[in-house]
Amino acid sequence: MTTPTSKLAALALFLLFAFLVVPWLIAVSGRSDLYYTLTSVALLSIASAGVWLTFYIGRINIGQGAYALLGGYVSAILVTAYGLSFWLTLPIAGLFCAGVSILIGWPILRLRGVYFAMVTLVLTEVARLAALAAPLTNGAKGITDIPPPGPIRLFGLTLVPDFATLANPRQAFYFAAVVLMVLAFAGVYRLVHSRIGQLCQSLQQNEELASSIGVNIAALRIIAYAISSFLGGIGGAMFVAIAQSIYPSSFAVTDSVNFMLNCFLGGLGYVVGPIVGTLVLYFGWDLLFKTGQFQLLIYSMILIALILVLPNGILSLVAPRRKGS
Amino acid sequence: MTQIIVNGLYLGAQYALIALGLTLIFALMNVLNFAHGQMFVLGGFTTYTVYGRLHLPFAVALVASGLTLAVVGALFERLLFRTVIRRSFREESTMLLAAGTAFFLDAVILLLFGEKQRGVPKIVSGVLNTDWLIIPYDKIAVGIIAVLLIAGFMAFMQFSRPGRAMRALAQDRVAAQLMGVNVDRYSMIGFALGAMLAGVVGGLLVAITGVNSGIGGPISIKAFLMVMIGGAGVVGGAIAGGFILGMLESVGLSVLHAYGDITYLVIFAALMVFLSIRPNGLMGKPWG
Amino acid sequence: MAELLEVKGLTKRFGGLVAVNGISFSVQEGEILSVIGPNGAGKSTLFKLIASFLRPSDGEVLFRGARISGLAPHIVARTGVVRTFQETTIFKGMSVRDNVITAHHLRSRATLLGFFLASRRAQADERDFARSADEILDFLGLGTIAGELASTLPQGHLRALGIAIGLATSPKVLLLDEPFAGMNHGETRRAVELVRAVRGRGVTILLVEHDMPAVMKISDRIVVLNFGEKIAEGTPTEIQANPRVIEAYLGSADESIGL
Repeated sequence: MTTPTSKLAALALFLLFAFLVVPWLIAVSGRSDLYYTLTSVALLSIASAGVWLTFYIGRINIGQGAYALLGGYVSAILVTAYGLSFWLTLPIAGLFCAGVSILIGWPILRLRGVYFAMVTLVLTEVARLAALAAPLTNGAKGITDIPPPGPIRLFGLTLVPDFATLANPRQAFYFAAVVLMVLAFAGVYRLVHSRIGQLCQSLQQNEELASSIGVNIAALRIIAYAISSFLGGIGGAMFVAIAQSIYPSSFAVTDSVNFMLNCFLGGLGYVVGPIVGTLVLYFGWDLLFKTGQFQLLIYSMILIALILVLPNGILSLVAPRRKGS
Repeated sequence: MTQIIVNGLYLGAQYALIALGLTLIFALMNVLNFAHGQMFVLGGFTTYTVYGRLHLPFAVALVASGLTLAVVGALFERLLFRTVIRRSFREESTMLLAAGTAFFLDAVILLLFGEKQRGVPKIVSGVLNTDWLIIPYDKIAVGIIAVLLIAGFMAFMQFSRPGRAMRALAQDRVAAQLMGVNVDRYSMIGFALGAMLAGVVGGLLVAITGVNSGIGGPISIKAFLMVMIGGAGVVGGAIAGGFILGMLESVGLSVLHAYGDITYLVIFAALMVFLSIRPNGLMGKPWG
Repeated sequence: MAELLEVKGLTKRFGGLVAVNGISFSVQEGEILSVIGPNGAGKSTLFKLIASFLRPSDGEVLFRGARISGLAPHIVARTGVVRTFQETTIFKGMSVRDNVITAHHLRSRATLLGFFLASRRAQADERDFARSADEILDFLGLGTIAGELASTLPQGHLRALGIAIGLATSPKVLLLDEPFAGMNHGETRRAVELVRAVRGRGVTILLVEHDMPAVMKISDRIVVLNFGEKIAEGTPTEIQANPRVIEAYLGSADESIGL
């Protein structure tokens, strides 16, 4: 049984690994391109955490790409058109996505299963169409030449340096992404293990009973969905900071599907499942690059094989089924 | 005005066929066939190969498309879905598998047929040209074939033994088993039939608008839209959804043309409102 | 004694079928009132209407004079009218104790954010819930199995857990859906004592049942339904002597009326 101290120890170990061991390994092997890979994994897993949270309230969310796109555009527009500091646009993008998701969630969260999944799938496509058509977004040309994140200065101290001045911005992005990921997952972990998590469980296990003990199930669902979309938004915003550009096609239906896949593959019963799933799928895809035109074929075949063999996710191999399914 | 309606009917018939396939698979196995759009594309390319390249008659090409996809569908069910449905704690695992199969078919199609847009020679040339209506004969032909197929499908489901077995299975799995329906066999037949429908429509439409490897995903999404409108798991719902979407597209294209690509945005916003009132679509069976 | 719950002309139609037709009665504070009737009489539907899991086609349900019919179920629960379920419904994936702790939702004074951040009020709430849950579990004789997974419990305990969940909401009126179903003689005796004890805590009880001896033993008053209509209302003695009631039960094949 894992105790709080052992969990803290695991976290400390992970931080040590991420902040010290990994940079050292990369420096030694000269593979600085891995910074980009790992940064992507970190950010994509944040968005996937959002999808995981929607699973936690019993819904299959294949629309996270829409919020990643929305968050990315909000950040890009605020930085380029209004000159705001990127770090400020990060929570704004998240909150904006949360707000939009409340409007959308209200009619659709009462749908279940396949119906809800279908609506969210269509949502991603609609986001792309909106990005193409809306006046602010510059249409198909997208928004490019987005400046790198500026500094964070508090009381005269520079907490975070101007990314434009850095010799190794990739490493800085990596650190930022990992910090964001740890914060996001710590938040989800706390949510799930608090009374809120218990209420969500009650919702999942017996909706009628939850209602009869006074739980406002509609409101609880919307809150969870809003948090989930918040995570999608900040993941997307951060991504845009790295890519320094955004197009209507930056996050598409495939990405939405991938976020869902990351959760499934990692194991829906585990909070850190999305991290494992994203890692495996992303690295897997990257590694297969060498196979050229067969990349998608082999990737999909391995994916199918994994589902056949491990229908309950990778982590079901190493850990007994824990809470949350 | 008549132009818009006729166009809508033509589109609606094709879409209804697509939606029927999707809804059949869903009704039988509670599986949302993500790969439906890709099956459509595969059907299109098969007809392209048989009719366009090998110059065999169009009818033969359609049959080839149908059979190819029927085999694909049967194999998917037998080798993949059956195992996962049996072994997983969560029913959503089948959704994951369906997504995997969609990627797989995408890859296969890319490898076999490449990225280029492909078309075939017209099956009927000439245009019907009256005062109130302009429509090419091949569209009329395809529309008629589609309607005949819909009617045939419904007759099959209503009157034939496999059709009745599948309907029983869709209504109540356990009861059907108790009455001796072989669940495994008819799940496979149902999946094959659903896939076949997608393939045949692909074959029909390649003769009108051509096909390329990239439209699989968007077609799947359209299919989902139809099923959302009409309701999943019900034949009538699929047909209604198909025709409604066809009409909406036809109207949208001509009316909203000036405003660019917002037809689907409008459709989606309207759908949100509609789903708030009728969450299961017009006629759908509630999930779970 | 005040009229706590009032059912006025309650009617429910499902398409062409009238499940419940113009039923009126009231429940006094502190009493145990049972609703009985042959199978298909509309008892379940009536229950769902009172707890607002169904909207009435006509008529209304009043709690302390204010209308609760047609409101969302969780809001009705908040007013103090709480329902237990027929199919021993509990939270299967949680322990017995967690089931009851979760059910204290209506007693929370902290907000969701407070619970997330472990504010002082949230911590106080959690302590309060835990204490209250233990007390309720002991009261219902479930204290020794508090740590067990709810899905592993035998039926008798499941039933008690359902009542425990109901009690955790600090109800004014508890709607018990067939609390004695499927019990043998000894179990029923204990369950009757339990229901009496719950009433002793100040909870008014409205129950639906088939088990006649238990109903006759425990009820202060009884309402009899047949074919969706109320055919009799009164004390157990009055009901047992009522010719319409006797006729209704002789007409249906199953139950004895515990004379």
